[in-house]
Amino acid sequence: MTISRRDFLKASAAAAAFAAAGAPLLNPLASGEAEAAEAGIKWGKAPCRFCGTGCGVLVGVKNNRIVATKGDPSAPVNRGLNCIKGYFLSKILYGRDRLTKPLIRKGDRMVEASWDEAMSLIAGKFRESIDKNGPDSVAIYGSGQWTVFEGYAASKLFKGGIGTNNVEPNARLCMASAVTGFMTTFASDEPMGCYDDLDLGDTYFLWGANMAECHPVLFSRLIDNRLRNPNVKIIDFGTRRTRTSQMADQYVRFNPQTDLALLNGIAHVILRDRLYDETFIKRHVVFKRGKENIGYGLEDKFKFADEPKLINFDEYREFLKTYTPEYVSRLSGVPAKTIVELAHLYADRKRKVNSLWTMGFNQHTRGTWVNNLVYNVHLLTGKICRPGENPMSLTGQPSACGTAREVGTFTHRLPADMVVMNPEHRAKAEKIWGIAPGKIPAKPTYNATEMFRALDRGDIKVVWIQVTNPFQSLPNLNRYRKGARKGDGRFVIVSDIYPTRSTELADVILPSAGWVEKEGVYGNAERRTQQWFKLVDPPGEARNDLWQTMELARRLGHGSLFPYKYVEKEIWEEYRKFNEGQGKDLAPYEAYAKARGLRWPVINGKETLWRYAEGHDPYVKKGEGVSFYKNKADHYRAVIWARPYEPPAESPDRQYPFWLCTGRVLEHWHTGTMTGRVPELKRAYPSAVCEMHPEDARKLGIKHLQKVKISSRRGSIILPVDLNGRGKAEKGNIFVAFFDEGKLINDLCIDAYCPISGEPDYKKCAVKIEKA
Amino acid sequence: MDAENSKSGVTRRRFVRDGILVPLSLAVAGGAVSTIFLRKGDARNFYLRPPGAIEEKRFLAACIKCGKCAQLCPYNSIRMAGPEAGVGTGTPHIVAREIPCYLCPDIPCAKACPSGALDSSLQEVEKIRMGTAVIVDRENCLSIRGLRCEVCYRQCPLIDRAITIEPRHNTRTGVHTIMEPVVHRDKCTGCGICENACVLEKPVIVVQKSPPVQKDYYDF
Repeated sequence: MTISRRDFLKASAAAAAFAAAGAPLLNPLASGEAEAAEAGIKWGKAPCRFCGTGCGVLVGVKNNRIVATKGDPSAPVNRGLNCIKGYFLSKILYGRDRLTKPLIRKGDRMVEASWDEAMSLIAGKFRESIDKNGPDSVAIYGSGQWTVFEGYAASKLFKGGIGTNNVEPNARLCMASAVTGFMTTFASDEPMGCYDDLDLGDTYFLWGANMAECHPVLFSRLIDNRLRNPNVKIIDFGTRRTRTSQMADQYVRFNPQTDLALLNGIAHVILRDRLYDETFIKRHVVFKRGKENIGYGLEDKFKFADEPKLINFDEYREFLKTYTPEYVSRLSGVPAKTIVELAHLYADRKRKVNSLWTMGFNQHTRGTWVNNLVYNVHLLTGKICRPGENPMSLTGQPSACGTAREVGTFTHRLPADMVVMNPEHRAKAEKIWGIAPGKIPAKPTYNATEMFRALDRGDIKVVWIQVTNPFQSLPNLNRYRKGARKGDGRFVIVSDIYPTRSTELADVILPSAGWVEKEGVYGNAERRTQQWFKLVDPPGEARNDLWQTMELARRLGHGSLFPYKYVEKEIWEEYRKFNEGQGKDLAPYEAYAKARGLRWPVINGKETLWRYAEGHDPYVKKGEGVSFYKNKADHYRAVIWARPYEPPAESPDRQYPFWLCTGRVLEHWHTGTMTGRVPELKRAYPSAVCEMHPEDARKLGIKHLQKVKISSRRGSIILPVDLNGRGKAEKGNIFVAFFDEGKLINDLCIDAYCPISGEPDYKKCAVKIEKA
Repeated sequence: MDAENSKSGVTRRRFVRDGILVPLSLAVAGGAVSTIFLRKGDARNFYLRPPGAIEEKRFLAACIKCGKCAQLCPYNSIRMAGPEAGVGTGTPHIVAREIPCYLCPDIPCAKACPSGALDSSLQEVEKIRMGTAVIVDRENCLSIRGLRCEVCYRQCPLIDRAITIEPRHNTRTGVHTIMEPVVHRDKCTGCGICENACVLEKPVIVVQKSPPVQKDYYDF
């Protein structure tokens, strides 16, 4: 690969369109008139920087500055629309406090430094720690906002160069349970369906997903399906009445954690009333049962390994016996009659049924189980791998799928569903990476929470944080914030575009290029891979995270891992080798430069809308109908898991009588470092509030807008109470959004996690409320 | 008496002239000027008065400009009008785009009013009627253009009552919903939180003077 960037730009029509005056190619809407009005503005395409929906936008550039953005009318995901965050994309890079120079800590002050000084300091710390404490004493913590290239380079350097599996993304805090759910049920990550199912189905069960606020454009599509088809039903399962519940046909309130019981209850009724698809089960399903009573990961160095055993249909039926509608009703608070009705709705042969879920399922101490259980219902009824009929896990970050999951930037993962524990997988990676056999360690090290526990203990000395804000987003923050500044050789590097609650704890802050200040590829929730070119220069001395990682590699003597001229394209072509023939095939780089994203597997230039389905997925042979071809171990069948209900790590008691649930609002994204810099969004939703049920408030003598002190066993916070906001807390529950950097609600959250996925539960912990 | 009067320098004639006629004429002139200023200062010809304010003309007559309401407002929403308000100089009002009324449950401003300009017997925030929010610029409203904004709706303290969402099919994309915010006059308090929150440079939803109810005999 010796093609230079210049050659490539020339060769690629779409790129040339941006580079030269042919902007209309990327902007099919621009008529002559519009062009005149937009004199001097050149338009390039990019996926939105925010959530996992992956809306396409057109970015208007003038004088090396983004002057406008607009929804891309030819992007299939959003067809020209955006949510209010996407509307303000042009402002996210231009906050007044943008980081433009490397900063090095000198006592309590951060002092400007040159890149050379900063990088030699960093490389020195890495070398020192590796020499003294071994490669597992250094770590990189990235995110689902890493571009594919950034994630790939980080994984290659740490796993293939330094020789440590200390690579984790913040996606561990958000998607890990979906990953382990997919892996344990289908032996391959990511959904079979796609967004077209939102148009084609007629029955939608939402589980722990506030789509109206967190996937705004997709929700608008879902609601439109109902506007056009009066037959469409939307059922919202939740523990909090949201804007989504408001627009759903039915809101089903359940007690936190009892989704496990509810799904088993639904399966119970499906079996009891013989509503299942016997042929589908016989051909495509095996049954398994794993370990139970599996713990909560609360203690340091918690380890868990499941021991799945094959069971038969009768044993599964036996397992479900206890989950009668009456028993489930007592646990969940959902009337038994409703459970029976909804089970019948799930199994209705005349209906095209979809399940959609997000953090309510994933951020769950039994997150993997609850993902398994929703697949059970679809597998029992055969409502899967058909257009308009699928279970679909929605994602929260723009490249949680593309980077964290597909490139595999978790401690245990390698690209294309491979894992470090498997010697064949390691050998394949070592071959593609051109490194010595045996270089990649066989044992995974730490999940995200454990990584910061290790930093707190001092087992990890040097950690580099890129494109994320863990010291606002980790649970039980107090411990990990303190841990980062314990000294004793600990060294924290943070690369970001703005000062955050994480940069304030850093020893070195590196100014990064953001979004279209660099070339990138993101992958959205429907397996759509979307590419963009660099459209403007980063401000000051800010530099691409990809360059930063490769610069560290060079200084550590691993420069030969990155022998590229046109880095992005060559990384892509190398990365593609992992995916070829694995059911995860990606197209050549040029194809993405032209297309508005392609859904993998892409074979002979054709994307795949429905995986495992004959006629849609080229891996499925004629006559097979459906084939879960990635699950070789179980003879290409999917797994129905017998997973019981188990209580959460912490439940309300006399001392801490309320449930605390955290989450997002439409106006802000994650820790608010970008949306907080957009004055219009800040004005629209300035600061966090505590949603509470009016009756609970009355009992405590608390009035609307009054300030309260919320405390858990881990921390406390003062917030005004909102009794009649956009979200309505159920009795005994409160809800607080986590975007507000001035109000660290995660101080209160418990750092219990799902033993299989390692994902913490941000949705359930016990708190008390007092007048402040 | 005369001698005393001449000593103090105030004759009855002079007292009448200086003490009554001059201020009176100034006030009359000021009133005329104030209407001009009101129009100029506020294109809507409307001052958003604090909760419980009685009808504007009576309000202007009743308010003694003591500033107690402003003093008790925990959000500094209430400010005293400057000379641009003419006859209303020194009267309390709210500039929603800067700081709206957050509808304190105990309505401290109205309770504190000693003059009756604000109805101190007001108990429920739902009954406050300061004005009515109106979408004044539909063409620019992002929600009506199909974007998922609806900030005014979600921030409305009477969400789903004073503002609701009326979904309709978006013919331009063919697969999305236009979620149009609709203000309901009978529920809107005129607090101005929507006007404050609107993300556009010029808010497309603003609080205006509530139009009079035109009675007829329909029940719906």
